[in-house]
Amino acid sequence: MNAIETENLTKRYKTKTAVSGLSLSVHEGELFSLLGVNGAGKTTTIRMLSCLSKPTDGECYICGHNCVTEQSAVKGLVGISPQDTAVAENLSVLENLRLMCGIYGYSPEKANRRIDEMTELFRMSEVANSRAKTLSGGWKRKLSIAMALISEPKVLFLDEPTLGLDVLARRELWNVVEELKSKITIVLTTHYMEEAEALSDRIAIMIDGSLAALGTLSELEAQSGESGLENTFVKIAGEFGKGA
Amino acid sequence: MNKAVAFSSRNFKEIIRDPLSYIFCLGFPLVMLAVMTLVNDGIPEEAGMTIFRIDNLAGGIAVFGLTFIMLFTCLSVAKDRSGAFLVRLYATPMTSGSFILGYVLPTSLLAVLQLITTLAASFVVSLITGIELNTLGLLLTLLSLLPTVIMLIACGLLFGTLFSEKAAPGLCSIVISLASFLGGVWFDADGVGGVLLDICNALPFYHAVKAARMASALDFDGYLPHLLITLAYAVVITAASVIVFKHKMKADLQ
Ligand SMILES: Nc1ncnc2c1ncn2[C@@H]1O[C@H](COP(=O)(O)OP(=O)(O)OP(=O)(O)O)[C@@H](O)[C@H]1O
Ligand SMILES: [Mg+2]
Repeated sequence: MNAIETENLTKRYKTKTAVSGLSLSVHEGELFSLLGVNGAGKTTTIRMLSCLSKPTDGECYICGHNCVTEQSAVKGLVGISPQDTAVAENLSVLENLRLMCGIYGYSPEKANRRIDEMTELFRMSEVANSRAKTLSGGWKRKLSIAMALISEPKVLFLDEPTLGLDVLARRELWNVVEELKSKITIVLTTHYMEEAEALSDRIAIMIDGSLAALGTLSELEAQSGESGLENTFVKIAGEFGKGA
Repeated sequence: MNKAVAFSSRNFKEIIRDPLSYIFCLGFPLVMLAVMTLVNDGIPEEAGMTIFRIDNLAGGIAVFGLTFIMLFTCLSVAKDRSGAFLVRLYATPMTSGSFILGYVLPTSLLAVLQLITTLAASFVVSLITGIELNTLGLLLTLLSLLPTVIMLIACGLLFGTLFSEKAAPGLCSIVISLASFLGGVWFDADGVGGVLLDICNALPFYHAVKAARMASALDFDGYLPHLLITLAYAVVITAASVIVFKHKMKADLQ
């Protein structure tokens, strides 16, 4: 079974079609990157897949469960690290993690085990007792992702996880993502081409809400006749714009 | 229920870790209590003005303090709605009921703590000024104000849901001023009478203050209607806030 399946997925707002007829599938354990310029519809797609927004048209499924009609099943399967860092500012790192455990109804033992695992995975012990509002952008982002992971999701959505991070913090986060790869399915959005290149199994390029290209890096390179993801992206975006 | 408890504890911590909560929820009512007691001290007995005497002031300040709990409830909700944190929680199996309980439980606890503090302070003032306040009366004052606690917290939830983080505080301060004025905390509404008294009568605040003052004086002649009116307002506003919150949450997830 595919981890994610969308069929003609569409989201129309009053004046704008944010996502238009998106059909794709993401395999289990895959790291799937969604690329596209600002406003291409990446976040909207993720919102529909994590029950934060209802499709205007089409269907989407997480591990076979319909995102509209089987919301509670889907919510139990997905974790989301929103584009804007989403942490409780006046709570410490540990308290934030404990909060998520409480919301998922974990026993104290299970909560402690998961909190230990997350602090280790993100090497967060030095900031464990710091209030979130005092953390640097990098730590906050790590905490935000840890909060999405703590519920052991089958599918993790990372919406621009490395936005605004310095080179070292970004590399550290890449390492964490590498460790998670193949254990869970990850959908990543990013504006950094080298990031998508380094991490992805397959890449989808969205333009104006539609799927412009989909494949592994080498498939996309072959398709566009360019080398490197950046050149490939520019070429595909340019051709799509001409209505090719 | 677990979810509501986890979310409550987060909201409780967020509020008690904000120094402003102490200034407004505890400091301000206590300062007003002290100031008005001093003012009362300066009023000559012949003037016959007893509105700031501790037996009248205690119930008034208690209601006044509770309006700040409304402000903090409103701010918690509005702040959460403006950030991405609530979005993250929307993607968990949390229901709207757990959200509402999560906001209401910790603020109710704060409200009761605040009432205990202001009423205890009033008792101390009564000892100093030699005007008798009865401990049983103060306990009954606290109980009489429980519907008001619920009503004001529901107001906070309603305003926090409907208005942005920027608009909500301004709106709340209008309600705070109106509540303490039209509640007859700062002037003798019964003595003034007329249209002003009619307006006071139509709103819940006057009845809340009345019920509190009568309970503290152990004077239950005509007490029940005041209590029932605050209770009715509490039920209606709570229902409205729950409906609006659920509706808004559904709309956010469209
Ligand atoms: N609630 C909304 N109402 C109206 N239009 C919206 C709404 N949400 C998003 N849009 C529009 O839908 C389009 C796609 O937005 P989306 O946030 O999905 O883009 P994105 O690919 O995530 O962009 P970015 O890289 O800037 O994060 C944009 O034009 C946006 O303005
Ligand atoms: Mg986005």
